[in-house]
Amino acid sequence: MPGPYPGQVVRVHSENSIDSASARVNREIVKQMLASGMKALTGDARAEDAWARFISPKDVVGIKVNCSGAPQIRSSPEVVAGIAENLIAIGVPAKQIYVYERFDGQLRSVGYEKFLPAGIELYAVETSRRSILNYDPKTYVETSFFGEEDTRSNVVRLVSETLTKIVNVPNLKEHQASGVTGCLKNIAYGNYSNVARSHRSEKTHTRTFIGTLAAAEPVRSRVVLNIMDGLRGVWHAGPFSEMEKFRFFPKQLMFGTDPVAMDAKLIEVIEAKRKAEGAVSIFDRSMSHVGKDNSNPNTNHFIREPGHVEYAGTLGLGVFDSAKIKLKVIEL
Amino acid sequence: MLVLLAALPTLFWDGAADTAPALRQAGITQIQVPASRLAEWKGVTEITAEAADLQGALKLLAPTVNYRMNEASATNTPWLVHNGWRFIRRPSGRYYYEPVGEQAALAAAEAFCYGIGATIKPDPAGLNPLAAMLAFLRTLPESTLPPVADIGYIDDGSATSGEVMNLMVRGNLLFRLVTAPDRSLKVNVKLGGKEYSLEDAKNPGTVAHLVRANLGDDKRSLRVYGSDVVVARLTASNGKARLHLLNYAGANRKVDGLRVRVLGEYSKHELRIAGVTGVELQDYNVEGGATEFTLPELRTYAVIDLSR
Repeated sequence: MPGPYPGQVVRVHSENSIDSASARVNREIVKQMLASGMKALTGDARAEDAWARFISPKDVVGIKVNCSGAPQIRSSPEVVAGIAENLIAIGVPAKQIYVYERFDGQLRSVGYEKFLPAGIELYAVETSRRSILNYDPKTYVETSFFGEEDTRSNVVRLVSETLTKIVNVPNLKEHQASGVTGCLKNIAYGNYSNVARSHRSEKTHTRTFIGTLAAAEPVRSRVVLNIMDGLRGVWHAGPFSEMEKFRFFPKQLMFGTDPVAMDAKLIEVIEAKRKAEGAVSIFDRSMSHVGKDNSNPNTNHFIREPGHVEYAGTLGLGVFDSAKIKLKVIEL
Repeated sequence: MLVLLAALPTLFWDGAADTAPALRQAGITQIQVPASRLAEWKGVTEITAEAADLQGALKLLAPTVNYRMNEASATNTPWLVHNGWRFIRRPSGRYYYEPVGEQAALAAAEAFCYGIGATIKPDPAGLNPLAAMLAFLRTLPESTLPPVADIGYIDDGSATSGEVMNLMVRGNLLFRLVTAPDRSLKVNVKLGGKEYSLEDAKNPGTVAHLVRANLGDDKRSLRVYGSDVVVARLTASNGKARLHLLNYAGANRKVDGLRVRVLGEYSKHELRIAGVTGVELQDYNVEGGATEFTLPELRTYAVIDLSR
């Protein structure tokens, strides 16, 4: 990261990609969106050539999904299956593809296996909550936030020992602590243990921790492509999605290798939606808006830290300056 | 200095002698009984009874974890009920527990790892877990290694001082009691001075944090990663060490994976876990003056003997 396309973001929107009433996804249109987005990002005429820029048949590929809001909001199985099919089409054997997430219960609740090509492994890091066994004991970021005894966040062992490439598939969501949860947070908090310790009280450490984790090797090198699933979205009380009234349907996928630029665009989407709903900005830092009852869109559990995206830019992970971000928008 | 001897806890049983079959079935061979029942138990085969009077012994809280999920608090860290600091303060004291169910096993292990021959009066559900733990404790090779301490603590005997010790044990900060600062230790602590003021001590947690900060995590003889309900005790001397690990959540909420760092390079190890067989330490690594390993599973209690 930021890979071969710093400061570039492709947004593919299709009104028919998902039905707002039934939340049913149109798989064929998603396939077209994937092909269109990859070609636009790379400039290649054929989708296969676009995928082959990032992944070779020798790679062991992890598709990092986000299921923290599952079963309502998660990396859509139609999108994930579409990515897997493209990988197979360029010669990656199915047995070299992992769809992975940290928590077993969340991953299993989605039902990816009904959509994925045969042979792909669904992999949960923590088959029992807080188990450290599938994290790499030798590779960690160490810091103390609130005097916690366990000061280490270890990288997922699958990432350090098995995968050679990662395709990151976050959702389009607001997050109560970090402001948004997009590419960077799915890379960071999705590939390390013991990360919730950064947001235990109203004032969190998410601003610096997310970028710090994402910038650490081998995670930084492994993530070669980000495809943000914005068919559905959450504009308040994320990353979970317990209240339907805070879900919406942006009906888009975003593509890029620069997670900072993509998350900068994510912030714009969430801010626009919140403004339309009459909710305060995610940059609001007033303690008067911090409270327990977040069924009110102007009340939040934490002071949000959307500045984590800009901070990650200062670590060299990508371009945050909106004047320098080149956005291509494709309407299908 | 408290030296760990094989002081086994003992079951206190106030049932009549006709309950002996239940004890035999559990594997109990030694009990303490009220003086009024001693005569009838003297005639029972395979079980040795001695009279015990719980009056005069300090009743301990049953070891456990209080998660307090529905209570607002300054920390999300679960509250451990443990008695290690009491043992350190008064190692020659007489103690007894009245635990519930599985807590009896944890109580026995807790007392044992501090070298305390406590009396345990379980409820009926606790008899078999206690018996199994006592059987496990009997299999452990005897050890007389002294406790490791990074911190010298001058205990003024006050409740506040006790609470600071409680939090240091809970935070796996290894200390021993001293009457004056001991230069051989990395940090010395006396409440009421400039460094650890009585004002700070109004929140004992603040003092424990200060002690940890002044010591520095890198200098700690012991670190535990992966659980906030495990308390460890370390004894060591002359290239040998024994590490005790207690899971205060108990066997029903086992810890799946615990990473441990012990200062000192120990190339050999022997692992014994209560209630678990066939498990080996994983990712064992000796370098940079420290030994690290992962214990894949901890139910209630594990003992790891380390040597060079």
